Amino acid sequence: MKHCCELILRAILFLFVSTILFFQPATAIAGENYDFDMEEFEPKKFKWGGYSEIMLERIDLNTGSAIYKLNFHDDPLNDLNRFNGALQLEFSYRKGIGAFNSVLRAKAGMDDIGWSDTEDVYEANLSLKPSPYVTIDLGKKVFRWGKGYAWNPVGFIDRPKDPNNPEESLEGYSGASIDLIKSFNGALQTVALTTVVLPVREGINEDFGEINHLNLATKLYLLYQDTDIDFVIFNGESRSTRYGVDFSRNLVSNFEIHGEFARLTDLKQNYLSETGTLYNRELSAIRYLLGMRYLTESDITTIIEYYHNGAGFSESELERFYQLIDDADAQLLNTGTDALFQTAKNISKMGYSSPQSGRNYLYMKISQKDPFDILYFTPGLIAILNLNDQSSSISPEMLYTGFTNWEIRLRFTSLIGGNFTEFAEKQNKNKLELRVRYHF
Amino acid sequence: MNSCKISINIRKLSLKLFVSLTMIFIMVIPAAALDGNEILLQVDRNLQPESYEMYRKLINIEPDGSEKEFVLYSVKKGQDKMIALFLSPASEEGRATLRLGENMWLYIPSVGKPLRITSLQSVVGGVFNNSDILRLDYSAEYDAEILEETEDRYTLTCKAKSSTIAYDRLKMEVDKKTMVPVNIECYAASDMLIKTLYYKDIIDFGNGVKRPSVLETDSPLYKGYKSVMIYAKINKKKLADEVFTLNYLSRIDELR
Repeated sequence: MKHCCELILRAILFLFVSTILFFQPATAIAGENYDFDMEEFEPKKFKWGGYSEIMLERIDLNTGSAIYKLNFHDDPLNDLNRFNGALQLEFSYRKGIGAFNSVLRAKAGMDDIGWSDTEDVYEANLSLKPSPYVTIDLGKKVFRWGKGYAWNPVGFIDRPKDPNNPEESLEGYSGASIDLIKSFNGALQTVALTTVVLPVREGINEDFGEINHLNLATKLYLLYQDTDIDFVIFNGESRSTRYGVDFSRNLVSNFEIHGEFARLTDLKQNYLSETGTLYNRELSAIRYLLGMRYLTESDITTIIEYYHNGAGFSESELERFYQLIDDADAQLLNTGTDALFQTAKNISKMGYSSPQSGRNYLYMKISQKDPFDILYFTPGLIAILNLNDQSSSISPEMLYTGFTNWEIRLRFTSLIGGNFTEFAEKQNKNKLELRVRYHF
Repeated sequence: MNSCKISINIRKLSLKLFVSLTMIFIMVIPAAALDGNEILLQVDRNLQPESYEMYRKLINIEPDGSEKEFVLYSVKKGQDKMIALFLSPASEEGRATLRLGENMWLYIPSVGKPLRITSLQSVVGGVFNNSDILRLDYSAEYDAEILEETEDRYTLTCKAKSSTIAYDRLKMEVDKKTMVPVNIECYAASDMLIKTLYYKDIIDFGNGVKRPSVLETDSPLYKGYKSVMIYAKINKKKLADEVFTLNYLSRIDELR
């Protein structure tokens, strides 16, 4: 099985490189007489589309890391070969001022451990648009608030993004929202107010927070003197009250700056004390992000973001967690009991093994469009650095979109850092992934 | 009775002569007196109404002749508001770009929120960049002077009104008869030629819109590559200002 996966992976890698280097998109030759058949682009009441993808992953496990020991102490492995398939379907039906929209996603994966699959309704909502000024949405919908690319401190009703794939679809929450827009002439060009009512009940938005509460989130957007500004407030019993502001502006046409600031009140958090005891604390925390996007004449785009998470764990708190797992490993070796591992597993669910669980991070993405005269080819590099312990995740990648509706991405990720640092204590050491996506 | 008829005929003749002379005066004399900015204004009005919708097909042609096509639905209002929505291919469908003056945003359905982009970037790859796809009126962005005038053409030199405009200088040849551009050379502030645009195949789109239906471009920066824009269905359309806002970008398809 493992050998078979490796062979498939190698074969597909070979095909990817060969395709880029030796073949050109197989389409018609251009003539001087261009035709444009409008019939197939007439507006339709019912529309559907989506994509299907396959992803092959080869993972070198970091057998000395804390999270590896936590997950694999009873069944050790050196590497992992994984094959994933996913299908995303999008439907919409429009009649009069109303439209029904839905996004469904199914994913299945097979690796050296076993088989897994998920089926989710990402969105399913009825949207009413009585005028250009008003939109009312009822049902499951995604709200992506904030101006940050990798993180969104003011995304109070968003699911957290994966900074390595920030442009991927996310699952929404069920609720009702109203969006009001007004445009003006002058320094203040646009005002928009979005209000969302988010119930949390048994079977509805259960993973959002405490159940049996009704929550309210509001965003006021202004386009003032060519600057995007949002004021955001969340109030409800499912999560603590939080408020924030964000902005985005082009200083010159190829240089944009953005930022977010959020204050979260009355957060409840479990943490490991200096004595190794688990304590509970209540705190108010500040999260903020400062970022820029710069485009050079040679089409190189650089995105840099600094993220501070006041609710994250300190370097010493994370070290204590990794030490606990080390102790659990020693206990297993010396006594054959995994009691401490069970404790560590419970603590890991309290945020210690979440992505970017520390306090200060730097994100950088550099990509170049169409280098070496290869159209639709975009090589890039993504780096995420934990500024407190100096560990990092580095991911060079290549993306090719030259075949109509096909997207081919090859990415290698390496996690680097010293002992008891965040990225060096993660389960993976290196990961090579190939993703082939077809849009329809 | 007869003298009365003669008198009426003379009056009619005088009126016809007056109207004809006035028409000649309107058509010939002012044309000769047009300055660069007035020509640019006429070019704008002939290329596109002030508020309209249109469909465009973009074709990127590589040196070996292979092609990639994109279809866009666009709406524009006034001098500084424009939106382009991708209808095809499926991988780009639903993406929308908004331009308000020099501010530009890109909405990607999976991202779910608009991101600021720059005029020099290209959302489609190839020779056309964002400012070509979301082009505002030339007269809104440039001050023009007549560089040369021949029997059938004006050659204008157009200087960007601010440093945020994608091309610092344009050299535009305008056909005197149709008052639409024939070709436009686009230069950077360093005087480097970035690209040349060629307007071709004038057709009548109806509602008084008679303009080139094909725009070709090539660039010394993309040797051997060519991009083509084909226009269809240019219709005057009344649009609310609120259409040109970030919150509306996910709903643009509903305007069709």
